[in-house]
Amino acid sequence: MFLKFSLRSVFYGAGGGNDIQWCFSQVKGAVDDDVAEADIISTVEFNHSGELLATGDKGGRVVIFQQEQENKTQSHSRGEYNVYSTFQSHEPEFDYLKSLEIEEKINKIRWLPQKNAAQFLLSTNDKTIKLWKISERDKRPEGYNLKEEDGRYRDPTTVTTLRVPVFRPMDLMVEASPRRIFANAHTYHINSISINSDYETYLSADDLRINLWHLEITDRSFNIVDIKPANMEELTEVITAAEFHPNSCSTFVYSSSKGTIRLCDMRASALCDRHSKLFEEPEDPSNRSFFSEIISSISDVKFSHSGRYMMTRDYLSVKIWDLNMENRPVETYQVHEYLRSKLCSLYENDCIFDKFECCWNGLDRQVQLCSPSTSAPSRLFLKQAT
Amino acid sequence: MEFKLEAHRIVSISLGKIYSARGQRGGLKLHKNLLVSLVLRSARQVYLSEPGCPPEPPPAAAAAEPPEEEPAPRTAAWAAEPPPPPPPQDEAGRDCQGPRPRRCCCGEENRGGCAGAPPPPHCPRKRSAGERGQAGSPVKKPRREEEEPPPPPPSPPGEQEDMETSNVASLISIFGSSFSGLLSKEPKGRRRPPLDGGEAAAGTAPAEAAAETGQICCDEPVLRTLNPWSTAIVAF
Repeated sequence: MFLKFSLRSVFYGAGGGNDIQWCFSQVKGAVDDDVAEADIISTVEFNHSGELLATGDKGGRVVIFQQEQENKTQSHSRGEYNVYSTFQSHEPEFDYLKSLEIEEKINKIRWLPQKNAAQFLLSTNDKTIKLWKISERDKRPEGYNLKEEDGRYRDPTTVTTLRVPVFRPMDLMVEASPRRIFANAHTYHINSISINSDYETYLSADDLRINLWHLEITDRSFNIVDIKPANMEELTEVITAAEFHPNSCSTFVYSSSKGTIRLCDMRASALCDRHSKLFEEPEDPSNRSFFSEIISSISDVKFSHSGRYMMTRDYLSVKIWDLNMENRPVETYQVHEYLRSKLCSLYENDCIFDKFECCWNGLDRQVQLCSPSTSAPSRLFLKQAT
Repeated sequence: MEFKLEAHRIVSISLGKIYSARGQRGGLKLHKNLLVSLVLRSARQVYLSEPGCPPEPPPAAAAAEPPEEEPAPRTAAWAAEPPPPPPPQDEAGRDCQGPRPRRCCCGEENRGGCAGAPPPPHCPRKRSAGERGQAGSPVKKPRREEEEPPPPPPSPPGEQEDMETSNVASLISIFGSSFSGLLSKEPKGRRRPPLDGGEAAAGTAPAEAAAETGQICCDEPVLRTLNPWSTAIVAF
């Protein structure tokens, strides 16, 4: 299963078997160009089983698609995705103190592992993270003694017999309700959230700080990384992405706009300003240009499921790093090297600022590349099985 | 000269981006503006290097040709150039130790008319403490909107005059009429537009009042004084 989304629609394809073939399976959303700004999709995330796909858009809405049950006779083809739930996650707000509008655009969605019948996800805009519970209701009680079926109360004097209400099936209704709101902890724009493997805590990262939250506690968070310089004029890099290690609940990484990745251990100190490991590849001086700094900025970092490797995405390439080797990646894939000669035009039309994402497939055998815009098509790379 | 044009163009584009970021919904995007400022700094360094000489090799020199004109992927840009003679005014303004009221009297277009040796580089007095003394690597970044407005420094009288008007038109079109009020000489104590409070103000870097006091941004002498962050500072 791979995923690509353009500005307004989500594509997913499917492949199978040893001989991988990829084809478009389904397109959701609008494919024409006449789309409202608020409908532009800003983030996409599958849940852990792949059954649910959540999309967030610039208007602050979350739309969840559900895969229909696999047809037993066609086990090699996956079911189609249909709309499962839609809700307004974030509204535009206004910060009166700073005279700033806070955009409702959803920056990231992360699913929590499923523990019961309900699904939980975290969605965040620039400033506020919300925990949403998505639950199904497919039956309702009927046969109340004091209430009619339409809800009107009956006159008690007309009740002559008593009955026990029973549950009867109804059309499936999917309800989304906000369970927690984690607000007022970030001065800068939140770019990442990542749920810890302890399933109790999660981190949120903005341009200069990373905070650690407990899922049950909304009125405080711990600051674990702070790279804001005392003099803002000395600022040289910002945090671009952060993620917890999949297995080690005290380890996380964050990437920077300078192309470095820092691995930190929360056991070392309360404030993890000193990294435990620094992953950085020396720049190739022959590729230097005005835009070298922009294209070396890392836009996404993802651990492999095993936790041994991590993948980073910058503008032109994807790199696979072994956590045991800091001085260079073990694999580098040039995604669209043909764009290197067009950097000036891409700078002019702002496409050079697009933030690409990446993800591993379930077996850590392939890397998928998502493009949040139509400036470059999505690509797929096969990496050596490890 | 080609490098200068390209650098000039990139400077214009970058300043336009910083300017248009002012009205953006959701506030200043720190990451994007940081990247724009890095590009602006690189382009400015190229632009300020001695005219007629090819730009110096890394770290901050430009690519040899405008990328969109080159179909093949750009190879070592500087390797393709002949080794440049060391420019007489190297790192223009960088190692300037103190205020120098005398400005370069030659605009770009009448370089040939510049008598004698090229004049010493115009030294901007408004460089921040963080930048002064850092050879080759001023790293002024756009301020976050909640930074307190730094007080504008006094401007030497000689710097106010604008010798170069031919490049103004492009920049004026970028900045539009909003900056027309800045084109006249402003009083030194002009108060900045209030920045957002909230964060503890570092506020230590002096403002680059060049943009504030109406310098036209694209002129070479002005570029020496223009701190890209100042436009952002003014904006934010």
